[in-house]
Amino acid sequence: MSAEAEQRIQATAPAAPVVEPVVEPGITVGVAFEPAAPVPTWTAAIGTGIARPIRRVFHRHTPFLDKTAFVLVGLLVLLAIVGLFYRPYDPFNVDTRIALLPPSAAHLLGTDDVGRDVLSRILAGAGLTLLSAAAIVLIAAIIGVLVASVSTLLPRWADEVIMRACDIFMSIPSLVLALGLAAALGPSLTSIIVAMVAASWPSTARLTRGILRETMTTSFVESAQILGVSRVRLMLRHVLPNSLDAIYVQASMEISGTIVMISGLAFLGVGAPPPSPDWGSMIAAGQQYITTAWWISLFPGLAITIGAIAFGLVGDAVRTFVDPASRRS
Amino acid sequence: MPAPALLSIERLTVRVPEKERIGGGDGDLTLVEDLTLQIRAGERVALVGESGSGKSITARAILRLDPHLTLGGSIDWDGRELIGAPHHVLRGIRGAEISMIFQDPMTALNPVLTIGEQVAEPLLVRGVSKKEAYRRAAEMLDRLRVPKAKERLRAYPGQFSGGMRQRVVMAAALIAQPRLLIADEPTTALDVRVQEQVLDILEEQSRELNLAVLFITHDLAIVAGLAQSVAVMFRGRLVEQQPVDDLFAHPQHPYTRGLIGSVPRLDADPGVRLKTVADYLKEGSAA
Repeated sequence: MSAEAEQRIQATAPAAPVVEPVVEPGITVGVAFEPAAPVPTWTAAIGTGIARPIRRVFHRHTPFLDKTAFVLVGLLVLLAIVGLFYRPYDPFNVDTRIALLPPSAAHLLGTDDVGRDVLSRILAGAGLTLLSAAAIVLIAAIIGVLVASVSTLLPRWADEVIMRACDIFMSIPSLVLALGLAAALGPSLTSIIVAMVAASWPSTARLTRGILRETMTTSFVESAQILGVSRVRLMLRHVLPNSLDAIYVQASMEISGTIVMISGLAFLGVGAPPPSPDWGSMIAAGQQYITTAWWISLFPGLAITIGAIAFGLVGDAVRTFVDPASRRS
Repeated sequence: MPAPALLSIERLTVRVPEKERIGGGDGDLTLVEDLTLQIRAGERVALVGESGSGKSITARAILRLDPHLTLGGSIDWDGRELIGAPHHVLRGIRGAEISMIFQDPMTALNPVLTIGEQVAEPLLVRGVSKKEAYRRAAEMLDRLRVPKAKERLRAYPGQFSGGMRQRVVMAAALIAQPRLLIADEPTTALDVRVQEQVLDILEEQSRELNLAVLFITHDLAIVAGLAQSVAVMFRGRLVEQQPVDDLFAHPQHPYTRGLIGSVPRLDADPGVRLKTVADYLKEGSAA
C-alpha cells in the first residue's frame, strides 16, 4: 500500500486510536506532552502558572482589603510621579500675605506659616519620601543578602562571628542608631538613607541567612554539589533563586516601617534642611500652629499614615501570595 | 581474572563527633564500623540493609557529603585517597568520576532552572562551551529514552513526571562520563512500572559505558535483577558479601537469611505465619 493510500485510510477511519499504547519501555502511556501545542482552556486553569498570579491579585480571589491597598499604593506612586512634574504652586515660594490660609478652592489643603501651598509641598515630598524609602529597603536588602550569602558559604566559625556581629547591631534600637548616625553625618537626605540602611541590613542578613541555610539542605542543592558545582556558583544558581521569596516579602513589609522612620527622623530635624518639603519636617514646622492652623501638620501626617498602612497591607498581601499557608483568617 | 578495584574501601568507620550529636549523649556515635568493600570497573554492587543500617552514610562518605562526620580507615579511588582530600580535588571527582543520584526525583531538580541547564551543569562547570554542553545534554537525554529530548531542554522540572525526572537526574549524573554511579534508593519513590524502566536504563548504561554502579536499596527483588554482587549491612557493619546468585542460594549470615526469608511469597502456605527478620536473628544466635 502506498503512503498516500495509507494516509487516506487513516483520515477516513472513524475511530482511529488517539492514545497509543506503550511503544517501548521508557515511554509512558498516553500522548506525549507538547509544550508548543495549543493547550485546552480547562487545563490552563489547572496547570499554567503564569496567568494565575495576576488573576489572584486583581480578581475575586483577592480580599477587598488587599485590593484597596494595591489601589492606594498605586495612587501614592502616581502622586509621586505627578509631583515631579506638576504642582499647583511653587512649593518653595514664600509669600507671607497668604500665610496660614485654611483649605479653600484656591489652596485645597491650605497654606503654611510662610504662605507655601501645603498640597504642592506634599506632592513634592511624595517622590522624595517614597524614593528614599525604596532606596533604603533595596540597598539594605542587597547588603543583607550579600552578607548572608557569604556567611552561609564560609565555615561555621566565620558564620558565627558574622551573625553575632549582626546581633550586636540589632540590639541597638534602630531609631536610636539611625538618629545617632544621621546626626553625626549632618542633616541631609543622604545621611538619613545611610543611617537607615546601617540600621536595617542586619535583620535582613539574619533572616536571609536562615533561609539560605535551609535551602542549602534541599536535595537539589546537594545534587548540584555532587555534580561538582563550585560553592559560589551553587549559591548564585541554585540557592539564591530558590530563597528570594521570603526576601521579597520581608522587603515589601519593611517599606511601610521605613516610611515612618524617614518621616520620624525628618521630624526630629536630622533630615534634609528646612526648605525641603519632607513630610516629617512639614509636621514639625506646623506643630506650633496645631491649634490654629491644623492643616499644616494634619495633611502630611495623613500622607505618612496612608503610605505606611497601604505599603504594610501590600507587604501582607505579598506574603499571603508567596506563602498561602499564612493567609489571615 | 579479577580486575584491580576501582574503588577500594578499607576498614571504613564513620562517627558522629560528641559535640555534633543531636540530643547530647556521651562519646562519639559510631554509624559505620570496619567496612571493607571493593568495586571494580563496570561492576554492579548492591548494598542492602534495613533503615538505619548505615548504607546511605557509607555511600555519602565516599563523596564526603557530610563534612561534620569523622571518617576513619581508607577510601581509595583509583589510586587516590578520598579521606582528607582537599575540597578542590573532591570537586574535580564529583560528577566527573563519581556521581550520585538520590531517592526522590521530585526534589532532586532545581525548580527554577530548565532541564537543559541542569543536565548540562556538570559540563558547564568544567568549562565546556554552552553550545556543546547543550548538544551533549540532548544526546544524553536521548540515550536515557526521554522522548523529544532536544525540545525538552527548555522545559522546567515541574512539567515532568516522576519517572521522567529520575531520567533527567540520571542524565545529569552521567553526562560527564563518571566511572562510578552511586544510586541511593533511586526507585523507592517511584511506582513499580516506572521502577522497572529506570532500572532497565541503569543496567543498560552500566553495560554500554562500563559504568560501575553502587546500588543502595532494601528491595531484594531489585538486587536480584540488577546486581552482580551483594553486600549486606546490619547495624553499621558489613555482615556478608557474595555474588548475587550465591547470596540467594546460600545466605551465610542469619540477618541475610532473615531479609530473604521475610519477603512474602505467593507460593507460601497461607496458614503459616511469615517469619520476621527478628525471628531469624533469634534462631541464628541460638544455633
